[in-house]
Amino acid sequence: MATIEQAPPPSPPVPPGPPEPAGHPPAGTGTSNTKLAIWLFLSSDCLFFGAFISAYLLYRSRHQTGPTPKDVYSIPFTSVSSFVLLMSSLTMVLALAAIQRGDLRRLRIWLLATALLGSVFIGGQIFEFTEFARKGLSLDTNLFSSTFFVLTGFHGAHVTIGIIWLISLWGLATQGRLRQGDAEKVEVAGLYWHFVDVVWIVIFTVVYLIPAPK
Amino acid sequence: MSDITLRDDTTPEPAPATEPAPGLLPGELRPHPSPLRYVVIAVVLSAITAAEVSLYYLQGDIPDALIITLLLAFAIMKFGIVASWYMHLRTDRPIFANFFVLGICSAILLYLVVLTSLQIFS
Repeated sequence: MATIEQAPPPSPPVPPGPPEPAGHPPAGTGTSNTKLAIWLFLSSDCLFFGAFISAYLLYRSRHQTGPTPKDVYSIPFTSVSSFVLLMSSLTMVLALAAIQRGDLRRLRIWLLATALLGSVFIGGQIFEFTEFARKGLSLDTNLFSSTFFVLTGFHGAHVTIGIIWLISLWGLATQGRLRQGDAEKVEVAGLYWHFVDVVWIVIFTVVYLIPAPK
Repeated sequence: MSDITLRDDTTPEPAPATEPAPGLLPGELRPHPSPLRYVVIAVVLSAITAAEVSLYYLQGDIPDALIITLLLAFAIMKFGIVASWYMHLRTDRPIFANFFVLGICSAILLYLVVLTSLQIFS
């Protein structure tokens, strides 16, 4: 004789679990996504600056008209600018050390000092460009001037972005919105700033110091 | 009786730790240098820069090839010091250094090929 099986009673509704954590899930690399992203960006920026440095090396001696690099460069002035940018890297790491210690007063001081030193560097670059223009060298004078202005101009743009970033962090710190737990934000800004510094180390040597072929 | 134990494959593998050890930032393996050491490094960098500028003024007195070699060596030294100490590549996980070295090597290789093909070294 056939038997009819009774359907099991409906299961009680499952209570809602804990809410999903906000933001991205942790990366599988065992480190933070932010730091990984900035390093990837810096890695790609090496190719960006490499293109302009190569173009400069290729064209600097092919100037048909107008002043030559030797006529316009002022090595003492650029050496001081390089020293200023180098010292801004020191103040940047001191800012990071300060936030890691929880010393927010020194964090504000060092962030502002870094932004100021960066501004001095940019001021020097604007002065240098003005002097070059006074000596008759503009973006379209010859191949040397075009590649020089594009290379150093893009580097200056990077420094300017860094200054804006640092001033934003300083503003947050002044409002009390940057605490010891936010040290990674300062570290990431610092990585960008030091990269701008190492690019200038290369530019200073390759563009200003190494003698052009005769 | 066999010692075979069954493993539940549906159990997800534990993700690598993303939380840094106490006192360390994410991605750090060892603590950063002290502020005093940062200052010492800045002094070393300044000394190398002074040596570079001095070399520039020796043009004509010593061969250009020697000047170029020394200037490039100084630049590489400064680059390495800033990257390893100020960018903390020596105390962070190697993955960051790997990314950076990959970018630098790609750039050098790519543009060496380009410049060679355009006969800049001939």
